[in-house]
Amino acid sequence: MVARIGHWVNGKIRDSVYAAGYFYETIKALLLFFRRRQVGYKVLTMQMLFTGVEALGVISLLSLSLGAVIIIEGLILLPQFGQGDLIYTILITIITRELGPILTAFIIIARSGTAISTEIGNMVVSHEIEAYVSFGINPISYLVVPRFLGVTFSMVLLNLYFNIFGLIGSYLLGTLMQPIGFSEYLNGLLSVLTTADIISSLGKSAVFGMIISLVSTYYGFKVERATTEVPQKAIKAVGHSIVLCILANVVLTLFYYL
Amino acid sequence: MKDAVKVSGLRFERNNLLILDDISLSFPAEASTVVMGSSGSGKSTLLKIAAGIIMPDGGRVELYGENIFGVGEKKLLQLQRRTGFVFQDAALWANMSLYSNMEVPLRYHYPDMTNEEVDSKINQLLKRVDFREDLSVRPAQLSTGEQKIFSFLRALVTEPELVFLDEPTTSVDQSSADKIINLIRKLKEEGKTIIAVTHSARLTSLIADYLIVMGEGGVLAEGPFSEVIRTKDQRVADILSDVLDMSSSYDTDLLELLEPEFDDE
Repeated sequence: MVARIGHWVNGKIRDSVYAAGYFYETIKALLLFFRRRQVGYKVLTMQMLFTGVEALGVISLLSLSLGAVIIIEGLILLPQFGQGDLIYTILITIITRELGPILTAFIIIARSGTAISTEIGNMVVSHEIEAYVSFGINPISYLVVPRFLGVTFSMVLLNLYFNIFGLIGSYLLGTLMQPIGFSEYLNGLLSVLTTADIISSLGKSAVFGMIISLVSTYYGFKVERATTEVPQKAIKAVGHSIVLCILANVVLTLFYYL
Repeated sequence: MKDAVKVSGLRFERNNLLILDDISLSFPAEASTVVMGSSGSGKSTLLKIAAGIIMPDGGRVELYGENIFGVGEKKLLQLQRRTGFVFQDAALWANMSLYSNMEVPLRYHYPDMTNEEVDSKINQLLKRVDFREDLSVRPAQLSTGEQKIFSFLRALVTEPELVFLDEPTTSVDQSSADKIINLIRKLKEEGKTIIAVTHSARLTSLIADYLIVMGEGGVLAEGPFSEVIRTKDQRVADILSDVLDMSSSYDTDLLELLEPEFDDE
């Protein structure tokens, strides 16, 4: 029993050291990325296209419907307590500060996180990673850094897009229930929106993007030999990405109120 | 003769299984060395470690006199520009076109190359085997034999002086195997260093200057080809006959060469 616990602890320590080394190597390669004229730019463009542009449809639908739901609930419930003016604060708090970044992160985990870990895992199995190494191409700088940058930039941009669509969605549905001028609505939002809200929202999405890309690539590289490992590692990548994003969200929200 | 690759005290373990144990070998430059051994003897692992693809758990690998696992990234890139590796399963980048498979290593090593230079370099290589497939397709659209040939060409794109071959003629049809063998012979004529892991008696008899026989995680015999195949060591003779039996359906040259020696035993 003691031996098994010791073995488990040893394994966890080894994994943590490996993960820390992986993170260090990625940051090191990231610093050199823009100094080099290299083929990694193409990978970066493709990653932004896949993670950012191709996710616009689902983000639009989600943000529009979420904005609509908040405004319906808000316009019905808040006046009952004489707090109708709080609708703008609630919209900014929920869409901009909280749900915008985390829901965008969940969508990116489901689409890009799984795709990245599966793609890299398959590349390990088919020796494609070894083929890069045989040419002296560092897989971290060629495969990980462009994905890290692509997912992080896309997360920030998708979060902005989520906010715009979410707030427009709430306006469109809100006007059906209670006609209101767009400038009045916009002024109401701007009156409660602070710089701290914007920094918090964009900061969270950047951190989530980093987490998703690092965790997904890390688990892709954890595949050793068999194709059966690929879905197993993809599941781990999704699970760990979700947990880490939620934890990071709690920490960053605490920071906001400090 | 200078050594292209020299490994010393090499040790490699995977999942608590010792695959290579205290291996020390030299691979002369501008010569062809063939590594043979039974399945699981660590031949491919040795080849990948010698090429700097896998890091060993212990020991040292010198590529043209430089410790490949101790040099900086820039030096490593320079060293690996001088080598090419042909993988057993082709290992073409599946999510890229054939053209990109050739272009990526070229652009990585020579970022100043113009599009015309890249085109010309790629076309020049394709002409070596009269490769006529559409380069915009993905590798999965090629047959196994064509993939192997293309992977061979990709390994040559940076004009390496040293080529590592991991089972270059395995799992391919006879016509593709012939093309690959012809390519290897041309490389040998050009004075390239070749280090090949193979089960093919035909390929071995055509190119081997030196032969290494591996078994049980270690080197059982090494030296000039003509000396090693005349070994009196029964273990080496058993391994060679086992290995060669696997390819005896069409690779008969070396079997014929070996048989009298084994009969004498």
